[in-house]
Amino acid sequence: MTSSVKNESNSNWWKDWYNHFIAGANRLTLLIEDGINFAITSKYNPFYYHGALPQFYMWVLLLSGLLLFAYYIPTVDSAYFSTKMINAWTSVQYITESLPFGGVIRGIHRYSGDAMVLFIFLHAIRVWFTDRYRQYRWVQWTSGVVLLLMVLFIGQTGYYLVWDERSLLLTRMTVSALNALPIIGEPLKSWFLNGNTITNLTLSNFLFIHIGVSFALFFVLWVHYVRMTRPVLTPPPAVNFILVGAILLIVYLFPIACGKMADLNSQPNAYDIDWFFLWNYWLMSIMPISVFWLLMIVAGVLSLVLPAIVKNVSPPVIPAEVVINKCTGCSLCYRDCPYQAIEMVPAPAGSRFKLLATVKTARCSSCGLCVGACAFDAIDLPQLPDAAVTAQIKNLVEAK
Amino acid sequence: MAAGKTVITLICERAADLNSLLNEQDALSELPDVRVVKFPCSGMIQPLMIEAALKAGAGGVIVCGCQIGDCFYREGNKMIRDRLTGERPPGLKKAVDRRRVMALWLSRRQKERFLTEAKEFVLQMQKLDATDVSSKAAEPAAK
Repeated sequence: MTSSVKNESNSNWWKDWYNHFIAGANRLTLLIEDGINFAITSKYNPFYYHGALPQFYMWVLLLSGLLLFAYYIPTVDSAYFSTKMINAWTSVQYITESLPFGGVIRGIHRYSGDAMVLFIFLHAIRVWFTDRYRQYRWVQWTSGVVLLLMVLFIGQTGYYLVWDERSLLLTRMTVSALNALPIIGEPLKSWFLNGNTITNLTLSNFLFIHIGVSFALFFVLWVHYVRMTRPVLTPPPAVNFILVGAILLIVYLFPIACGKMADLNSQPNAYDIDWFFLWNYWLMSIMPISVFWLLMIVAGVLSLVLPAIVKNVSPPVIPAEVVINKCTGCSLCYRDCPYQAIEMVPAPAGSRFKLLATVKTARCSSCGLCVGACAFDAIDLPQLPDAAVTAQIKNLVEAK
Repeated sequence: MAAGKTVITLICERAADLNSLLNEQDALSELPDVRVVKFPCSGMIQPLMIEAALKAGAGGVIVCGCQIGDCFYREGNKMIRDRLTGERPPGLKKAVDRRRVMALWLSRRQKERFLTEAKEFVLQMQKLDATDVSSKAAEPAAK
């Protein structure tokens, strides 16, 4: 699958190195996938619907989050009922310890988030290793990186919401990190805290961010899918049961306990790290804040523009071409194109047909699926016309 | 083995890696009857091409794509599979002898599997040629 690279410039060594790396990575994924196919058949191979796995957990998170939302109270200290204080922490404690199955729902919500991040990484590594992320797929890659960043941010705000000592520490760490940013740091800080100090408004802001960004996920998911015809949205039903069962097992084995309630007058300085969501707080604690921000921004931008960086490792795609006087406007290629690269437009005046297929060249992968869909030889890959293929087949048959 | 008719293999270049098995005439060194045509994706294979091969006198046609679910271009192997089974237009003509078309879904590492399946298919086609009177005519069967 390595493409031959012409000797054009002196930057060839890294192209060769990169193609070599991807070819090796591809062999590795094939080895793993063949093993899985052998064990559980290709129908259930999780590598063949790896994008559907995080989406499945997204629905689990949405449902369990809805249930938690019904009992959650986003305040720090001011809501009193008779003598009993009611705040975010006590509402979470009530959910966990008093509500029937409340602790289970909370555990599902926590561990499904972890699983979603895990599967997003699996998804990203697989598309990277199999070279399925650049050229005509750059929109999917870049929107996918945005989705990952959003999911990480949503997860972190979830950790603020429970309002135990860890939440307080994370909030303070975030505030000091934002303070370290020039110019935009101050406004970001007051946006984050919804004021200048931690108040009840801070917690309602956290809840708004947590839920609001979650709903914004749907918009970015639409961008993620918009260039794909028939995206794979759900794993096979049998796998859904296994995915839910796995989460329930983890909830049973590692139930979520309530930490100590946050006390604004205390100075907590140690906490358990959730390595799926809170790794950047760990980074923050081991390096100077300026290095941390530099690292985050450079890594973020590099992942966003990765398809552009490696643009030249293979020759550009030569898009399919429609033979205008043969196209009957039957729409078969339009329906079959896996990248929404074909658009049906009104046929030119004087045509016998109503519609004409046109190729959106930037989206075309040059895969030839449209050629296979066309019964009229009206669409062709310029580098491999179907007439030439048919001639080659006839030659091979008659060569004997 | 070289006594039989030619068997045409239409294969995705990302499916079973046949490069090491081919000779200069695009035939398998072990099975010179089997000639190979490569495509960027099995989804590009037109049913018309299969018909053309059989009409030109090929003994049979092997269509080979990647493992179902693993198409590099997302859906190519599912497309040709559905076209061969008649679930998606354009399909094979009714007149085409279905016994002479075989579809395989093999990953890049499965060239040995391809070889065993191809050997068996060639034998089957030879048996078919020996018993099937109508195929002895120049025209394909059941016109």
